[in-house]
Parts: sequence; C-alpha cells; structure tokens
Amino acid sequence: MRFPKPRRVTLYILLVFFAFLFLLPLWTCITTSFKPVHDVIYTTPVELPLSPTAEPLITALNIMQRPLLNSFTFTISAMILSCLLGSINGYILTKIRFRGSDTVFLFFSIGIFIPYQAVLVPLVLTMSKLGLFNHIEGLILTHTAYGIPITTLLFRNFYGVIPNSLIMAAKTDGAGTWTIYRRIVLPLSLLPFVVAAVFQFTSIWNDFLFGVALARGSEAQPASVALANLRGTTEFQWNVQMAGTLWYALPVLVIFFVLGKYLMRGYMAGAVKG
Amino acid sequence: MAGNQLPGRKMRLPSRTMLTKDRIVTLILFLPSLVLVGYFVYVTIGWNVVVSLSDWKGLTPSYNIVGFDQYTRLFQDPTFFTALKNNLVLILLFVPGSLFLGLFLAILLDLKVRGEGVFRGIYLLPFALSFVVTAVLWAWMYNPSIGVINTLLMKTGLGFLKSGWITDPNVGLYCVVLAIIWQFSGYTMLIFLAGIRSIPESQMMAAEVDGASGFDLYRLVVIPQLKAPALSAFVVLMVFALKAFDFIFVLTDYSDYTYILPLMMFRETFSMNRFSYGAAIATILFLLALVIVVPYLYLSFRREKE
Repeated sequence: MRFPKPRRVTLYILLVFFAFLFLLPLWTCITTSFKPVHDVIYTTPVELPLSPTAEPLITALNIMQRPLLNSFTFTISAMILSCLLGSINGYILTKIRFRGSDTVFLFFSIGIFIPYQAVLVPLVLTMSKLGLFNHIEGLILTHTAYGIPITTLLFRNFYGVIPNSLIMAAKTDGAGTWTIYRRIVLPLSLLPFVVAAVFQFTSIWNDFLFGVALARGSEAQPASVALANLRGTTEFQWNVQMAGTLWYALPVLVIFFVLGKYLMRGYMAGAVKG
Repeated sequence: MAGNQLPGRKMRLPSRTMLTKDRIVTLILFLPSLVLVGYFVYVTIGWNVVVSLSDWKGLTPSYNIVGFDQYTRLFQDPTFFTALKNNLVLILLFVPGSLFLGLFLAILLDLKVRGEGVFRGIYLLPFALSFVVTAVLWAWMYNPSIGVINTLLMKTGLGFLKSGWITDPNVGLYCVVLAIIWQFSGYTMLIFLAGIRSIPESQMMAAEVDGASGFDLYRLVVIPQLKAPALSAFVVLMVFALKAFDFIFVLTDYSDYTYILPLMMFRETFSMNRFSYGAAIATILFLLALVIVVPYLYLSFRREKE
C-alpha cells in the first residue's frame, strides 16, 4: 500500500531519524576509537578525528589480546559441541520419536527460558569440584550444556519438514538410526547448522554472567569480562575504552554483516537473549 | 515453533520389529544431552533450592538445613523491596516500550520502503551486540561531562536539557530503560514484521476496497492479527526484564536507584559470600520466570499439537 507523496516524505524522514538514533552510539564508538586524547576533548563525539591515530586500538588490543583469544577458544568449541548435540536431539525428537518424546522436548524448552541466576551457585560449586573453576574447559562445558535447549529447538524446527517417507524408505532398506542420520539427515542439514552456529557463536561470545562467575580475574577470563574491567581501569580514557569495545564487538559485527539473514532466522525461531 | 507434522502421518517405531541394537544406539546418541540438560538445568535448580533452605555462608564447607529462614529474612530486608520495585518499574516501562516501538518500526518498514533491508539491519544491529558492549556505549552516551548526549545538546543550543543522566538518581533507572528499549526494539520489530508479512495480501486488498487506508488499515486489519507474535515477544521481554544483569552491572554497578533482583543475587552471593541468601533470591527469580514461561510453553505446545 502506498501513501500519497507528502506522507511518504514524512515516512522516510522518520526512517532516517530512527536509523540515526540506532547507529549513534556505535558511530561515536568508531570515531572515538581513532582519536588521540586531544581530539576526544576538542571534537564532538560524532565528528571524525582531526588527526586519526591507531594508538587507542593498539593499547586496547594489548590489554584484550589474551581474553579475546580465550573467548574464541571456548566460543568455537562450545558452539560446535552444542550444534552437534542439538542436531542429534532434533533428529531423535522428530524422526525416531519414542513414548514421552514431546515431554522430553518440553523439559528441554524450559532450559531456554530459565534465569541463569537460578543455577549459578550450584554451577560454581560443580565447577570447583570438577577442578574446572577458572578454566577454559569449565566455560566450554557450561556453554555447551546451556546451549543444548536452544539448538535442539532450532534443529527440531528444521527437521520437522524433512518428509517422513524419506526416513521410512531408508528404514525399509534396513538402515539403522545412525546410518539414517549420517546418510540422509546430516547431508540435508547445512542450513540449520549455519543458523544454529551463527546463533550460538553470538550468544556465547556475548555472555558475561557465566564468564564473571566462573573465570573472573583468571588466565581464562573472557573478553566480555576484560572489557568490563577495562571500563574500571581506564575511567577517563574514553578512546581506549571505545577501542576495546570495538575489538570485542568486531566478530559479532562481522557475522551480522556477512551472515545476518541466518542470525535473523535464529532470532525468529523463538530465540532469547541474556 | 511451527506445527510440522501432517495429521495422520505421525511416525511410530514398530516396537517389536526394530532391532534392540538400534535402540541402544539411539540411547547412546541421546544420553549426553539428557545428562547435561538434566544435570545443569534440573539438578542445579533443585540444589539451588536446597542451598536456599540452609544457613550456608561461603568459605565454610558444610551447612545445615534451617528451613525458610533465608526467605523470612528476605521479606524483612528493605533492599529486597527496593530491588523488587525497581524490577517492576523496569518491566512496566521496558516491555510495553519495546513492543510499541518495535510495532511502529515494523509498520513503517511494511509501507513498501526503498532500502527496507538496510533499515531493518540498522534497527536490528543493537540486538546482536553483547550487553557489555551496549553498556559501555551508553556509559559514553550518558557521560555527564564529555558524553555524546550532553555534548550534542550543547552544540545544538539545547544546553538547558543537560542532565547527569545515568549518574542522577532521579532519572538513572529511566536511562537504563531507554537504552534497553534501544537494544530490544529491533528484535520486536523483526518478530512483528514476520507476523505482518504472514497476513495474506488478499485480506489487505479486501480491506482497502472497503475503504480502509493508511494507519486505519493497520489498526483494523493487521494489528488484531498480531497476537501470536506479540505474545512470544512479550514472554522474551518479560523474562529478560527479570534477569537483566550484565547491562546494569557494567553501567551503574550496584547503585541504589538501578538495583534489581539479579544484581542483589549476585552481590549477596559473590561479594558478601552469603550463598544461601543469594540462592533464596535466585529461587524467587526462578519462580517469577516460571509464572511467565510455563503458561506460554503450554499454549504453544497445544497449538503445535492441533
């Protein structure tokens, strides 16, 4: 439906106005990351730097290097594990089915919505007992476990549309559960794997609560926690803070621009955040 | 969660003809997830409740079960009610705020806009970012001395609107609400836009023939059909508003005026080492979330079955 001319002008003014509001914080973050201290004081945040410098970015990277590497390690590991398990679960819950499989799925789904505060104390105790407190492996295990509910939901939605006749035919030929998964389901799974991987990468990368509870101030410290600390230690060096923010946000920004449409599919599948 | 099985085509294992070996394989494949979710979701929640009924202070290895002591203490603790009140204010402003702004943006984008994809991407971008990122960004926006908002107000001759923003106890909480509406309304926009696009074109055309146009068309035809997406967005927003921790923790630390239950839980547990007291707050948060989530899951499950 089209509005008449003057109203269409208003429409675009509104759209651009909101685009400005939504981009403003990020834009000032980018400009400030390239400013020497002098420019931070003598230019407005929206202006480009007078004498651009990479100094703040280098300073911030020196501080954030190790935590960024930590985040990559546990994010990618937990992403792969939770996607594989979610895929197998989705397959079993849609194509094998058993008595009570709907109930099992319901119990998994509740795991998507629980406030993680409700598990935090026992989680810390468990990780201490396992000797994984302040270790990357503890974060991998935690993010894998709490990722399973949402990846199961994503894969279950996708596998629901694979025709059952396909599975039946293979079964009549004598193929077992594993063979059917390997030969039929897995080759059809590229799309759900991309959607689930992109979704898991961003939510694990973005996590702060598990990181701060399980690996604060240790060698295994995630980038999110390091950035929060940077905010405390560089209180008046806004350019360094913004540069650190940019480094930490960069992988997610890249994913958003390159694979954004898959991320949106993840969000629309009843996804949550936090 | 779309219904995805055609009626009458439900597959079932012919239980006696299947090899037992195959069932064992299925069980082995399923077991890791069952164990992980079973332990990390359900055992830990149960354990948390047990801790909340004890007198445990961290650092001492043993504890006694003392019943509901922590809860009685909690209901006499004025900071608990401050946190609860702030949580409620947050919910009452943030949830409708994000729903309305998201709906508004979705309708704007539905008006056959050129460059729709670009605008959609821009509006959704904040939602993809970590709360730690957005907290630092908004700390910069709200900074009273050289922050973005005050600087821009000065430059545009609106200096009289300057404020301490996030550092001002009178408006701090509203500043938090505004920032998280900024972060979440792209998400609600996405959900509403998908809902609008799933309404058949013929219905819109019929309404136009009947003389409905412009925003009337949306008010009378479109919005009444957006109950399902509105409900799922509502649940996601409500649960977030209950457990929001990262953003406020990084932005304002433990300031009174933005103190909400998840912050109280974290502080009591990890700064004060009052494990059982923290566990009691966590249990209350969990129960509040259940009240929202269980009816929703029940409804969507029934819808899927039909």
